[in-house]
Amino acid sequence: MDRRLCAGGCHEVGTIKLGILCSRIRPEEKAIFRALTARGVDFDRLDEENLFLYLHDKVAVTSEGDRHLRLDYGLIWSRLLRHTCALYLLSILNGWGVPTVNNYRTVLTCGDKVLTSQALIGHGLPTPRTAVAFGAEAALEAMEEMGYPIVLKPAVGSWGRLLSKVNDRETAEALLAHKMILGGPGHRVFYIQEYVRKPGRDIRVMVVGDEVIYAIYRRSSHWITNTARGAEALPCPLTPEMADLALRAARAVGGGILAVDLLEDADGRLLVSEVNHTPEFHGAMQAVEVDIAGKMADYVISVSQEASTEFDARCESAQWRGNRYRGRACACLPLPLSAPGGRPPSG
Amino acid sequence: MRVGILCSRVRVEEKLLFQAFQARGVEAVRIEDEAIVLGLPDSSPLCRREADSPGLYDVVLIRSLSHSRALYASQLLSVAGLLTVNAPEVIALCGDKLQTSLALARHGVPTPAVRVAFSPEAALAAIEEMGYPVVLKPLNGSWGRLQAKINDRDAAEAILEHKQTLGGYTHSIFYIQEYIPKPGRDLRSFVVGGETIAAIYRTSPHWITNTARGAQASYCPVTPEIDAISRAAAEAVGGGVVAVDILEAPDGRLLVSEVNHTPEFRNSIAPTGVDIPGWIADYVLEVAMKSER
Repeated sequence: MDRRLCAGGCHEVGTIKLGILCSRIRPEEKAIFRALTARGVDFDRLDEENLFLYLHDKVAVTSEGDRHLRLDYGLIWSRLLRHTCALYLLSILNGWGVPTVNNYRTVLTCGDKVLTSQALIGHGLPTPRTAVAFGAEAALEAMEEMGYPIVLKPAVGSWGRLLSKVNDRETAEALLAHKMILGGPGHRVFYIQEYVRKPGRDIRVMVVGDEVIYAIYRRSSHWITNTARGAEALPCPLTPEMADLALRAARAVGGGILAVDLLEDADGRLLVSEVNHTPEFHGAMQAVEVDIAGKMADYVISVSQEASTEFDARCESAQWRGNRYRGRACACLPLPLSAPGGRPPSG
Repeated sequence: MRVGILCSRVRVEEKLLFQAFQARGVEAVRIEDEAIVLGLPDSSPLCRREADSPGLYDVVLIRSLSHSRALYASQLLSVAGLLTVNAPEVIALCGDKLQTSLALARHGVPTPAVRVAFSPEAALAAIEEMGYPVVLKPLNGSWGRLQAKINDRDAAEAILEHKQTLGGYTHSIFYIQEYIPKPGRDLRSFVVGGETIAAIYRTSPHWITNTARGAQASYCPVTPEIDAISRAAAEAVGGGVVAVDILEAPDGRLLVSEVNHTPEFRNSIAPTGVDIPGWIADYVLEVAMKSER
């Protein structure tokens, strides 16, 4: 199957090419590649570490040559591990008019606990009581006022890293002192949250577009219930309340493919704790029957098809025929079905 | 007699030291640690100022704020043939809590129990085995900075992860000390040239009893016991001018927690009535004179 994007907008709807941004291929990405291949979708893997972008020309240079990301791809799906990197790339791509999953706004909001809280609170979602402080003394005062135990989190960070359960003032003081010299802008923002006495587990609900595709319990004897920290993924019966909260939380942060973490408090109430913009789901793949990667692939294809009408219009009117980029009319080049070195696993 | 005082800033302590030398008819010259360039093999280490050359000084009193500057300057000056107070060996031992512990242990000076681990996992295991609370200290650092009292496993996990993230020599070696429930105070004694010249109580509602952190200094009589343990600790690190931090265990035992090589003393003169800068000046001059003989 030799699909080409060529001048004049001759590609067909449904043959739109996807770019998958990822540097590491985890089980999740393998499953995604398989799902896309099974659906006959043409895609390139774009490794952000081999990429540089000319902001004025709107061109990305990769080890495989120039890519006009605006014209070569109908949509770019980000599976980037590095949050800052994802944030910049998506900002650039969306600025160039390239549709992405997730979009920049969503990633910006979900990647920052302060912004997430604000979005969730703004949309009336139940969340643990939270305070934000910008100085160690103010943070200590907030913790003393809220009472211990309390959870201190970096505003930006994943996998439960540097989450601290603070049971007393001495711990608070020691942690704040360490954070003050950790450096970087992130550690002088103190995100202080009520400790929710959850029943040895939390709930992760996967939202794909307007659909909730599954829920799992993440069970752990430790208060940090990330599967990356050893929590066990177990099937969780999806209740209407969970589905409703997860969908509303996903919409509150801008929608897309999102994992919403819910906490059950001592009264059995559900609270939205976090929304993850590039969820891992290898634990869930074992625990639930759902074809997770397939559902995600279907959603991404549908988003790219919606975008393709606009894409056609752009191809027809665009002035990009000229050989502006290193002597190549990049959009007229036959594109490899998969990037060398990034060939998706078959089957 | 030519005395140099190597310092970063002229604090109250350094002002008092300059005055003390002046009162003894010796003009001490300020050497700014930020201005000097020292060299190897030993070429004119104090070359920034025209008048400065190693030969101009009989002795250099090290009062740098930074431990690393104090250590390296004293070593380089020694190579150039200068006497320093303290000696580089003393600074090296006192500036590293583990080296201090080793020196104290070698000399049989009682200290709180210490465990050392090289990974957060091993540190956590050590802490769990010692029982809470424990104190985690960076290997170097002053004024009680980044000392953490760990009261439970949650705190241990959080602090260890933060320390690991901080990384570096200071934070990737986990120095764990038994927490001594002290009676709202500890003791600090000043040992100059093998003599315990004064001692203070440092009283604070906080478990960190540094005067830099708000602890109150008050007079503490130098009992024979305090004198003995202070001199033993000073001797263990090589003598000179040191301040010894002593904890009173609930069973009445005295334990040496730290030994400081460039002690602050501004808050200790009034409560003790001891002319600490005078003692230091006399000792520095004595060291210089001994070497001339």
